[in-house]
Amino acid sequence: MLEKLFDPASVAVIGASRTEGKVGRAVLDNLLESYSGRIIPINPKADEILGLPCYPTILDAPGGAELAVVVVPAVLVPDALEKCGLAGVKNVVVISAGFKEAGIEGSKLERRCAEIVKEHGMRMVGPNCLGIIDTASGLNASFAASMAKKGNIAMMSQSGAICTSTLDWADARGVGFSKFISLGNKADLSENDFLLEMEDDENTAVIAAYLEGVKDGPKFMEIAREVSRKKPVIVIKSGRTAVGSRAVSSHTGTLAGSDEAYNAAFSQSNVIRADSVEQLMDYIRAFSSQPIPDGRNIAIITNAGGLGILTADACQFAGLSLSSFNEDTIGKLRGKLPPAASLYNPVDVLGDARPDIYGFAIETILDDPNVDGVILLTSPQAMTEIKSIAEVVVEKCAHTKKPILCSFVGGTRIEEGEAILNRHHIPNYPFPERAVASMAALCDYGVMREHEYVLPEKFDVDKEFVSSLLRDAISNGRRTLGLESFDILRAYGIPVVETLNVKTLQGALDACENMGYPVVMKVLSADISHKTDVGGVRIGLENADDVERAYLTMMSDVRRYMPHAVVSGVQVQKMITGGKEVIIGMNRDVQFGPLLMFGLGGTYVEVLKDVSFSVAPVGVDVLKKMVSSIRTYPILTGVRGESPSDIASIVDTLCRVSQLVSDFPEILEFEINPLMVLPEGQGCVAMDIRLTLGGE
Amino acid sequence: MASILISSSEKYSGKSSLCAGIGIILKDKGYSVGYMKPVGNMLVDVNGVLSDEDSEQARKLFDLKDDIKNITPILLTDNLVEDALAGVEKHLDKTIIDAYGEISRDKDVVLLEGTGGIGGGAIYGLSDPQVASIIGTKILLVTRYESIHAIDRILSDIELIHDPDMFAGIILNEVDEGQLEHVCELVVPFLENKGVKVLGVLPKDTTLRSVPISEIVEDLHAEVLAGSENLEVLVDHYLVGAMEVNSAIKYFRRTPNSVVITGGDRSDIQMAAIEARVKCLVLTGNLQPSAAVLGSADEAQIPVILVRGDTMSTIERMERLIGRARFRREHKLGRMVELINNNVNVKELMSLIGL
Repeated sequence: MLEKLFDPASVAVIGASRTEGKVGRAVLDNLLESYSGRIIPINPKADEILGLPCYPTILDAPGGAELAVVVVPAVLVPDALEKCGLAGVKNVVVISAGFKEAGIEGSKLERRCAEIVKEHGMRMVGPNCLGIIDTASGLNASFAASMAKKGNIAMMSQSGAICTSTLDWADARGVGFSKFISLGNKADLSENDFLLEMEDDENTAVIAAYLEGVKDGPKFMEIAREVSRKKPVIVIKSGRTAVGSRAVSSHTGTLAGSDEAYNAAFSQSNVIRADSVEQLMDYIRAFSSQPIPDGRNIAIITNAGGLGILTADACQFAGLSLSSFNEDTIGKLRGKLPPAASLYNPVDVLGDARPDIYGFAIETILDDPNVDGVILLTSPQAMTEIKSIAEVVVEKCAHTKKPILCSFVGGTRIEEGEAILNRHHIPNYPFPERAVASMAALCDYGVMREHEYVLPEKFDVDKEFVSSLLRDAISNGRRTLGLESFDILRAYGIPVVETLNVKTLQGALDACENMGYPVVMKVLSADISHKTDVGGVRIGLENADDVERAYLTMMSDVRRYMPHAVVSGVQVQKMITGGKEVIIGMNRDVQFGPLLMFGLGGTYVEVLKDVSFSVAPVGVDVLKKMVSSIRTYPILTGVRGESPSDIASIVDTLCRVSQLVSDFPEILEFEINPLMVLPEGQGCVAMDIRLTLGGE
Repeated sequence: MASILISSSEKYSGKSSLCAGIGIILKDKGYSVGYMKPVGNMLVDVNGVLSDEDSEQARKLFDLKDDIKNITPILLTDNLVEDALAGVEKHLDKTIIDAYGEISRDKDVVLLEGTGGIGGGAIYGLSDPQVASIIGTKILLVTRYESIHAIDRILSDIELIHDPDMFAGIILNEVDEGQLEHVCELVVPFLENKGVKVLGVLPKDTTLRSVPISEIVEDLHAEVLAGSENLEVLVDHYLVGAMEVNSAIKYFRRTPNSVVITGGDRSDIQMAAIEARVKCLVLTGNLQPSAAVLGSADEAQIPVILVRGDTMSTIERMERLIGRARFRREHKLGRMVELINNNVNVKELMSLIGL
């Protein structure tokens, strides 16, 4: 749908200039350099620029233009866009700055621009961007210092500077791009539109992005989930820390968002997250040139023992396995490698290994069905013929469907070899750990893209009941709900501990008699959110005397610590023993919506921070993983002869909570704490809940 | 002479608002209403004459032509305290009686406002019951009902009044929505059984607690950076943004009608507040926010105001602004009158006043 943006028959440059050093000149120069379509400079003060006929406005240009690049000062942009609309231009790239990033006036201008674009059915990149590049069509509608080399990587960036640095870095290493997009302020087109566009772009094999935030989180997840099945999507997201997120807000006037939410969202939509710019570059080199391995079994070939061991360690840390070679492979290696060589993984061909020995080792090892990929290490030793080794690697790479990543470790003495690898698009990493991380990313993606998306389950629930309960609470100005709202859980089929709400001591005594001892008693008050802190929870009450004393002291404590709280009574609960406490929570994330949280309960929860996250609505596969991914998971499966907990019932509860919080956007925060999980086959019960409501 | 002294056991219990509301109701009924706060404790300079803040507000509200010195004849100055401690006889009784004589001359009714708490001023012999006895008027008690403890306080206050004939009755103020039932069904009958006339039960009201943003701007001498079209929006809470950004957004979302106070350099907190759609951002320390944040605030039409003071001093000022029913704006007075008409037995109150 955006193909004319990247491959227009004609391009108008509104604000074109002949003055060197001006953006209007740089854009024109870039277009003239590689674009073969018609270029139309627009400037009311000139008749011709650089030999091209120039027009006062786009409306005066005969035949109009398919794409307009706008570089005039911000205040003039709305008018320019209006004229583009009238002239039938379909796509615009607004390079001009001075919009939302510049304050209130700019923000107003930006909104105006977005309106005009919408009115005329146009699409807009920017404003406040570097421009766009398409190497297939030769379009360089940017003021970047150079044109990108042709390649299969589509890169988009929310920072113009990251664009220019990446282009320069890539140029030095022979890395090429299919498309290059500077997103700017994303007033109209955003990462989501470009992801969709690149999904079926035949020139693009890898999609990379630098993002400070996403415009529409749920949409992003939906699109990325689909696109990543066809092509790897690699994202670096900045603003992860407190100081970083402050900088994002200051830079773009948006919230950086919680890193847990981004991690969960990326993982659920199979987006590969790079942790640094270096890693982003490392990954795109691997993905753009190497096939995706079928498994995680890696062979290491080295001419130096130390490098081999370091790499083996790194593989273990990254969750990769070292292949066990079959007998045939070992026999072949033994026949040709020197006696002192190490034949088992890592394979050490020794410091004096000549290129033919390298070649033989690579070929033999690639042939082994237990090998899914190779990491090749070379240290420039006295006898090492770096150039010839590189040439051998190039040759072997051309004949395999398994990935090979190299790490020629050194400086000047490896330069020649590295140049050869670069020329043939074989990634070379200055240190082995980076090669390992990139190999792990290739393997991870292999698993991800095979994974079938599991639709969130839809249970038969009483939605209408919850809806009216929440509506009543909101209209009565109640923002937090607690124990008194257990019926919400019941309506969604979540098992709840047997309870009775009573108003008086006598009521409590009667309830306990009916229910049977032991019991737990909790204060009922909309004003008290942390009941334990004010003495509002009493457990293990064995008889009527216990209940009476507990009731009286509880009321006294509550009155002392929270004299203003309105107490509506107490809740008597059946005491549950022999279970394990877990927590299920939800916080509505600004970008992605309901972010579910799961963790083991108990006193040390705050310190351990052993929790996992996922974005709802979410399928049972992700929720299972969510439960099993906490570090203390073995406590649930049972340690030292304990019987395992009913993990299936936790997952079922999570599924139902996912549906509940997705059904009701007015629930801002939600917590079942604790959820008591009983031994396998006996289910689980919610012991307490708390939720916060939003909305007018 | 019809009159009543409105007293309370604690500060900020709603005396001034009740005086204003009752006064307006009586005025509307055609009475000429006078006002006195015999002992002033919040000194203000009114064009060179010292007066009391409440008195000054009432003088403007009722459009009184009386001499400022008669509206509040006695001011609690340092000199007065020293003289009282030294035992210097100041004949304060006479000062009050004379002023009351002047004020009441051409009025149908005089509303007298007490000083701080009911027993305050006792060191000069000018506690509220003493003033009522000097003038010969009855006392109407107003008290905030926040918990059962209020009942203890009310009963002790009545003890202080001493003379049962001097006690007109009581109005329970700012009763929480959740406690209304309990108060009406249990507390009121209990008090009535003790012979305490309960003239009304006023529920807590957000309009009365609220202030328009323009008033905050005025009070803090703030500069408006964005959202100037929404300065008349009312706010009834303030929140301080000093935490980590993800906690901040939860905190802000729970209290939507609020002002967020934070440093001008805390762009993350500012964006969290904008995202949570709070009503106003107060930036402290005279630190200009980032242009991009202002752009977002403008887009969301949320006023952003900049103050010179640090966060602590801004909080202090805000504490005094929000939750105190000062009547600088029409909407609050109207609301108070409405609340009194709906929840106070005005007819009985008038007969107790002597109308």
